[in-house]
Amino acid sequence: MARRFGPELAMALVLIAAPFVLPHLGFSFDLLQRILDWGIIGLGFDLLFGATGLLSFGQAAFYGTGGFVSAYLLTAHIVGSVWLALAIGTVAAGLFGLLVGWLAVRRIGIYFTMITLAFGQMAFFLENSPLAGLTGGENGLPGVPVPSLAGHKLTAGEPLYWALAAIFLAGFVLARRILHSPFGTVLRAIKQNTARAGMTGHSVPAYKLAVFVIAALYAGLAGGLLGVLQSYMPPDAFMLDTSGQLVVQTVIGGVGTLIGPLVGATIWLWLRDNLQLIPHLGALWKLVLGLIFIALVVVLKRGIAGEVAFLVSRRSTRAAEQDVPEEGGEAAVMPVKAPALALGAPLVATGPDVPALRAIGVSKFYGGLHAVEGVSFDVRRGSIHAVIGPNGAGKSTLFKMLKDEIPPTAGEVLLFGNRITGLGPTRTAQLGIGKSNQLNQLFLDMTAEENLRIAALARARGTFRTDLWREASSLPEVERQVRAAIETVGLAHRAQVPAHVLPYGEKRRLEIGIALATGPNVLLLDEPLAGMSPAERVATRALVREIARTRTLVIVEHDMDAIFELAERITVLYEGRLLAEGTPEEIQRNQAVQDAYLGGMHEEGMQGEGVHA
Amino acid sequence: MTAPLLEIERINSFYGDSHILFDVSLNVGRNEVVALLGRNGAGKTTTLRTIMGVLAPRSGSIRLDGEPIQGRPPFEIARRGLQLVPEERAIFGQLTVEENLRLAALTAPSAWTLDRIYEFFPRLRERRRSGGRQLSGGEQQMLAIARALIRDARVILLDEPFEGLAPLIVRDLVRVSRELAEQGRTILVVEQNVTAALSFADRVYILNNGHVVWEGTPESLRADPALMKAHLGI
Amino acid sequence: MPSAPLLLSQAFNGLALGTLLALVSSGLTIILGTLGVLNFAHGALFMLGAYAMYVVATATGSYVLAVVVGAAFMLVVGVALERGLVRLFYARPHEDQILVTFGAGIVFTEVARAIFGGNALTVPTPSWGQGIVHLGFLFYPTYRLQLIGIIAALLFALYLVLYRTSIGLVVRAGIEDARMVGILGINVRRAFLGVFALGVVTAGVSGMLYAPIISVEPDMGSNFLVQAFVVIVIGGLGSFPGAVVGGLVAGEIIALTSAFNAAYSDVMLYAVMALLLVLRPQGLFGSEGRV
Repeated sequence: MARRFGPELAMALVLIAAPFVLPHLGFSFDLLQRILDWGIIGLGFDLLFGATGLLSFGQAAFYGTGGFVSAYLLTAHIVGSVWLALAIGTVAAGLFGLLVGWLAVRRIGIYFTMITLAFGQMAFFLENSPLAGLTGGENGLPGVPVPSLAGHKLTAGEPLYWALAAIFLAGFVLARRILHSPFGTVLRAIKQNTARAGMTGHSVPAYKLAVFVIAALYAGLAGGLLGVLQSYMPPDAFMLDTSGQLVVQTVIGGVGTLIGPLVGATIWLWLRDNLQLIPHLGALWKLVLGLIFIALVVVLKRGIAGEVAFLVSRRSTRAAEQDVPEEGGEAAVMPVKAPALALGAPLVATGPDVPALRAIGVSKFYGGLHAVEGVSFDVRRGSIHAVIGPNGAGKSTLFKMLKDEIPPTAGEVLLFGNRITGLGPTRTAQLGIGKSNQLNQLFLDMTAEENLRIAALARARGTFRTDLWREASSLPEVERQVRAAIETVGLAHRAQVPAHVLPYGEKRRLEIGIALATGPNVLLLDEPLAGMSPAERVATRALVREIARTRTLVIVEHDMDAIFELAERITVLYEGRLLAEGTPEEIQRNQAVQDAYLGGMHEEGMQGEGVHA
Repeated sequence: MTAPLLEIERINSFYGDSHILFDVSLNVGRNEVVALLGRNGAGKTTTLRTIMGVLAPRSGSIRLDGEPIQGRPPFEIARRGLQLVPEERAIFGQLTVEENLRLAALTAPSAWTLDRIYEFFPRLRERRRSGGRQLSGGEQQMLAIARALIRDARVILLDEPFEGLAPLIVRDLVRVSRELAEQGRTILVVEQNVTAALSFADRVYILNNGHVVWEGTPESLRADPALMKAHLGI
Repeated sequence: MPSAPLLLSQAFNGLALGTLLALVSSGLTIILGTLGVLNFAHGALFMLGAYAMYVVATATGSYVLAVVVGAAFMLVVGVALERGLVRLFYARPHEDQILVTFGAGIVFTEVARAIFGGNALTVPTPSWGQGIVHLGFLFYPTYRLQLIGIIAALLFALYLVLYRTSIGLVVRAGIEDARMVGILGINVRRAFLGVFALGVVTAGVSGMLYAPIISVEPDMGSNFLVQAFVVIVIGGLGSFPGAVVGGLVAGEIIALTSAFNAAYSDVMLYAVMALLLVLRPQGLFGSEGRV
């Protein structure tokens, strides 16, 4: 119990001890309250930036919205209860967050940051002039009352501190629950590898929008509390500097730790209040902070709380790393057993002669380059179907179109008779197409088990669900799925090892495992054997055969021996076009295929130089 | 006998943590055309990228005209007269054909004139104002080779020059490659298209799983179907 | 409905603001397009340029000298910033690049505050730019009119550098595939340094030219930074023509809407950006893909 809720208990103790200890170190109650206020907005921001990787420079917009809506309702005497006004302000910030987020999450990286920043500025200008009649413009709103609790006014100073501390603690507990919920696991997956999170069947835009709104709600609450604790709502809550200060505090304190923003705010505000008292140095406090900030971004990266957490967790990671064999060492012999998966994609009721997957005239053009042109083929239900062809024949491009990762220029793909073209990789994953990629697409900083859990969660929960309160590992059928998948790919002994530590061959198997854990009816494997040692190849071939017993498999592979052994039918691509199709025997005998691999330039012009195997 | 123009001695290369080349040694003499063959994933492209400096070898040495070049950045290696024509061609799609050529010629010690290039590739003269993106695969490959020629490179590293091209165009490019060879240009070519590669190579190396497993003449390779089957899968 | 002369003069104001925004944004977009780095210090560099103008112009009285010395100073700042900091971040995630340039911006701003104090300083209009010109439909300050011409000339010069010289060839190729540029014998890192320094000098020169018009203070850059962001979102990330057209569009939006309702002029700018993000997320001149 104490172990499980350790961080929560520790936080409660710190909050209780703070007013007894910190005043001796130059912290006034007013300072402590402002630090907690920054800490609250920081909890939401860290879920957005630290957990999900979305760097917003526009949190001031929601901070200000929550603050001014609450303050206006109270100072205009529309709402009498401070608590109710805070709640309304928080919801208003969330709604504004929904609008801004809806636009912002369409874009990534630089674009996302710029959009949030620009909307932050828009909110600032809105407050400043068009809405000045309501918000007081540059003067802000004075006279915000303090809340009451059980008939007692929570006056500034100690009583208000305890109220803020309680609110922060509640926000902290909630944020930690979110982080460790299935929802939060998906957020972390998005940060690690957005594309793969979407490919396993999670609706990435929906999760991003949801966490954006959550961050806006935290910011709105903190904004409302700012007015309360100062009995004045200042217009600079809306300023770019507010968003910037939040970012700096979070980085200094530690991104992805939840308490980072609180730690950063403690340092920032303490330095400001205390350096200002020193003659000649007063004006330099921000310069000092700026230099510390740059140093942290360049070298430390983890921030203060992050560094502490890292030191604590390093021992266990080290132990795991030592357990992993050196690169180049022979892979552990992998017993082939494939327990049945707990969860599978819904089966479509169709006649037995309906192919599992059917490509009809699929083409992909890039400008003048015809990567794939008019390829049609059927994959029989329950079979292993191989796609082969020389380098550059268009195999990987075709494969991406089979899962609708990229839209075809022409043609369509049917899954059990239903058109899937145009649905995108997330929907096709939900419909039962799994894919392992040519280049590993893992969630590198998460354990092997978590990697598989992300995939299983997509099957169990669908594209989007806001289960914020339950533990990520508390879904029994998901855990059964994870165990089945991890045993199938022979990584049970590596369950708790971070993916980036695994040797290459095991990473490759984890790649297949993620695709498998989505419970697909049709599994696409893009060069599953690439880069494996001969021993690993043998083991992986057995694995592929085992997996194929209960589902349809389409496989791209260069290892011809493996293909001829595994495949029931083979489709040969050449220069983006279908060259031949047939059984392994037919393909081996096919002269056109021979020529394609030899370069399609026999006889004329090359007299006497043609090679005939 | 003078030292080979390009000497590669026991290089080991890695991608991240996966070991790709194991003690690969090979050399290319002056005015020689050497083909580097092998299955997919054998390490051929990695060999060329290591020579060009795109990938630094963890150990081993690479000498161009007797001077070590391993560990140098690609731009320095290029200025010494070595030129990689990469597999993906890497044409600048936003630049016109002529701009692609001018860019390549910028730092070349003795550049060809555009006219000379266009005599070699009349098709590129017709397309000189076209953006790189509008070129067909064959035209892109011509331009990629032309960029190496305009730099008057001493050694050209050709990575799968015929990949994904129609047979007619391959034949055209083989003709060009033969002409270059006859003019005494030094070429190291990686190719899956064994017939095409053998048609203008003087010497052959076969790479398998990152090891050099065979070295010989095209004639002896052709005469040994078992060898071809074992290492090239044909 | 505002009168026609008012609209005309506001349109002219929009042109003046638009050319400045175009120049500021060009510096930002050149760096972004080539190096993939969104330089959050750009506003602070604009501010440094204005202070350089203040120092040299008040000391010597010569504006031409101030611009020359100021540009040299900005070149040094740009080289130092790239070599000392930004270079380490090319391979790091965009978020880290944003954070470190944001930090550099704070440091520049606070250094200026430490040296010059927080009060607004004024740079007098140069002697050759004083007075007012009668344009027929309105009276216009001479310096502002000259500024439109000077900035247009600078934009044209930037165009020549980017599109008519081998530097531009390297830059445009570097945007697409920096590795291949290196394989063709070009020192990409030096080219990157040049590009970054060019962007920094552009920001600084913008600040110098604008210094006589606005008050010079440590925080003056942040508004220009944000407006430059909007401009390059409108124009398309990393596109030089996009920055020029986007700058003019932004200038006109601000100026013309303030003819109707001054309170909404800044808000309108962001509203247009929001609209564009929905209808054409890649911007007017941008292509999908990068970023």
